[in-house]
Order: sequence, then C-alpha cells, then structure tokens
Amino acid sequence: MTVAVIRAGLLLAVLAAWEIAGRLGNPLLYVPPSAAVPALVRLLGLQSYPDLGEHLLLTLREIVAAYGLAVMAGVACGFALGSSRLLGRAYGPLLAALYAVPAVVWYPSLMLFFGLDAASKIAFGFLLGFFPITLAVLAGIRQVNPQLVTVARAFGASRATVFRTVMLPSMLFTLVGGLRTGLALSVIGVIVGEVLGSKAGMGSLLNHAYGLFRTADYVALVLVTLVLIVGSDAAASVLEHRARRWTE
Amino acid sequence: MSRARVRLLQALSIAVLLVGWEGIARGGWVDPLFVPAPSAVVRAFGRVGAPALAGLGDTLVKTAIAYVLSVVLGVAGGILIGSVQAVRQAVNPFVIALYGMPKILVLPWIVLLLGFGSAPAVVYGTIHGLFPILVLVTGAVRDVDRGLLTVARAFGARRWQLYWKVVLPAIVPTVLAGMRLGVVFCLLGVLIVEMFAGVRGMGYVMSSLANGFQAPELFAATALVSTASIVIVVSLDALNERLSHWRGDVR
Repeated sequence: MTVAVIRAGLLLAVLAAWEIAGRLGNPLLYVPPSAAVPALVRLLGLQSYPDLGEHLLLTLREIVAAYGLAVMAGVACGFALGSSRLLGRAYGPLLAALYAVPAVVWYPSLMLFFGLDAASKIAFGFLLGFFPITLAVLAGIRQVNPQLVTVARAFGASRATVFRTVMLPSMLFTLVGGLRTGLALSVIGVIVGEVLGSKAGMGSLLNHAYGLFRTADYVALVLVTLVLIVGSDAAASVLEHRARRWTE
Repeated sequence: MSRARVRLLQALSIAVLLVGWEGIARGGWVDPLFVPAPSAVVRAFGRVGAPALAGLGDTLVKTAIAYVLSVVLGVAGGILIGSVQAVRQAVNPFVIALYGMPKILVLPWIVLLLGFGSAPAVVYGTIHGLFPILVLVTGAVRDVDRGLLTVARAFGARRWQLYWKVVLPAIVPTVLAGMRLGVVFCLLGVLIVEMFAGVRGMGYVMSSLANGFQAPELFAATALVSTASIVIVVSLDALNERLSHWRGDVR
C-alpha cells in the first residue's frame, strides 16, 4: 500500500518536473505533459496525421512478417543444430560469434539490397528475432534428459510421440522465453529500420515529426508506438504463462 | 567427434559459402550493384580501408566513453538501488520498465536536444549499455548472502566495510557478466546514432556507402566493424575466464 503510494508520488513528481522544465524550456525541444495530451488527441482524431491508420497497419504487417519468418527459420535451425552433436558444435560457436556483433551493422547492406520499402524492415526484424529463437531452441534441446528419450523409444514410442510427450514439455520453458524475446526484438528491428530510413510506417512518421520540429506530435507518435510495442509484449506474456501452466 | 572434425567442418562451410557466393556473383545470378563477389569486397578494402579505419577509431572512442559511463553509473546505481530496500521498492519497477522500452523511440529527441556531434552518440550508447548492467547489479546486490552481512555486522563492521569487504566481492561475477553484455549494447547505440544523424564515425561511413550504392566498400566496412566487435567480445570473455580463477578465491 505505502509502496504503491510512494511509486505514484514518484511518477507524479517526475511528471511535474517535466511539466515545469517543459514550460521553462524551448517549446521546440521540450514538450510538457499538458501539451502532449492535446497533441495525442489531435493525432488520434486523425487531424495531425490523417493517414495514421495506414502507417500503423504497415508497421504491424512488417512485424507479423518478420516475426513469422524468424520463428520458422529459428525453430528449424535450432532443431537442425540441436539434433546433431557435430552440427551443433560446428555452427553453434559461429552463431554465437555473429550474435556478438551489434545487429545494426547489417542494416545498411539490407537497405541497399532490399530497398527503402517494407522488405528491408522485414529482413532486419527477421534477423533480430532469429538469433534468440534459434539459441533458445538449442538451449531447450540440451535440457531434455536423453535417458527419458531412450526409455520412451525403448517402450516403442514413435518419434512424434517422443517429441510431444518427452521433449516438448521439458524444453517448453526455455523455448517460450526465446519466442517472447524474439518477438520483442523483431518489433524493435522493424521500428529501428523504419527510423533509419523509410517512406511509410510509424518510424517514418516519427522521423517526419522530428524533421519538422513538430515535437508535440512526435511525443504523441512515440506514445502510440509504445502502446503497439507494450501491447505485443503483453500478448506474448499471456501466451508464455499459458504455455508454462500447460507443462506443469 | 574430435575437435579437428569440428574445425574442419567450420572451415569447410565458410569456404563453401565464400566460393558459392563468388560463383553466384560471377555467374550473374545477382546484380553486382547490390551483392558484390567476395573478391570484389577484398579489393574494396584497399579503397575504403583508410576512411573506414578512421571512422572505426572514432566510433570506438565514443563507445569507450559510453562504456565507462555505463559501467560506473550501472554499478553505482545498482549498489544503491539493490542495497536500500526503500529505494528498490520505489524505483525498481521504473528501471525495469525503462529497460524494456525500445530506446529507438527517444533517439530523434536526443539528437534534437544534443545536435549532430559526438554527444548524442555517447549519451545514446550509455543509455543502451547502462540498463542491463544496472538491472543485473541490482539483483546481485539484493541477493548477497544475508548470513555474510549478519556475521560482518556482528563482528562490528562499519557501513563502508560492509560494502567494501562483503557486497563488492560478492557482486564481482555479476559486474563482469554485465560488462560483457553491456559493451555490445554501447557499440550498438553509438552506431545507430551515427547512422541516423552522424557526420563522422563508422555508422556514418556505412550509411553513406549504402546511399552511394558502393556495395563492395560497404561489405568491406561491415566486415571490419563486425571483426572489431567480435574481437572485443572474445577478449572480454578471455578476461572473464582469467578472473574466474581469482573470483573463486574471493567467494
């Protein structure tokens, strides 16, 4: 109870400080909350950016495409590397080395290859989501007790049954965590791609507002994009809890 | 399953990849304007080497400043938040929320505020590197063995002695893990700013090469910065490995 009060007080204090700083400072640079709310209302009323819906939809579509590809490729690669000790030992370290490179270094090449449209954003979102999913599948397979698999096989279980009843439950915890991280990174990849260079999507709107010093509109766009990001993560978190309950 | 076979497979795969790529590029299956052959990339090193190395040096200096700031602020903040329960309960949810928030959303504002120089790159790199270290250290300080603290207090340790002799040694492994994690984030943040609004540095070099459709030079620059980043991470890992011995003695 008291903790909640302290937290709310802290939040209010930050907002109040922001309000004061925003009113004292240059309005081109600082947007107090009292100016952000009307800007948000104008944005949602489709007054500042009438085509907000299309841009939002495009960003969503890019995220869905990037994440879908990342899940398919990540799960396939993870199982391929996890099913053979030789493949895992040979390619695992190469993957880990690539993972140590900040992913944004690939973006200029992707932009050159795929152009300024949605394809380069999908490719970048895919790349960011792919690694955590692959690594989570690999880690999950390592958690499976090989003796359980041997015993199940000895009692005549088919490969499919072994996978469903033995392997999946023991690796699900790690796998689902990786899938959630992958989603968060795919979302970030798409938005980073859009901010670094695009003609449509939420990132391009953010850039547009920033370039024209429409800072209040920019803050409103950030809030809308944040809802998209937090919403996707909340959905993933619900699925994660479902999956974890199922294993218990 | 010998080590040699693994190495052989790795070398073979990379060779096949490079030869296949060269063949595809020479055979005209892809437009060399977008995907240059590896041999063209190697030749491009000669042309782009000097400006790219200068850009890389600039980027690494900014990354180093951001990294030092991240580690100092992250460890100090982590010790404060982790060891004072009131602060932790009040502040920690906000730290976690900020950690999870994609920093790209505030990038245009930071550039607006700080202009087109090194300052936004350092600040943005610090924001990227700071949070993972802060969150890890906070957790480690919170989980320091209560028994050790109680015993130290019972033997009359003062407050600074508690921090210096008990808390600090106990969190060393976590700080090292955070430092290993943070460096890639710092480099990431610096490169993003340079690509978004840079006038110098590797990110700027790469995005101008992409805008100029100089694919071989761009691939060469990408290879250069990737290698630098892998070398940094591998040497931090090696350092970690060395210190783990000493760490064992401390605990």
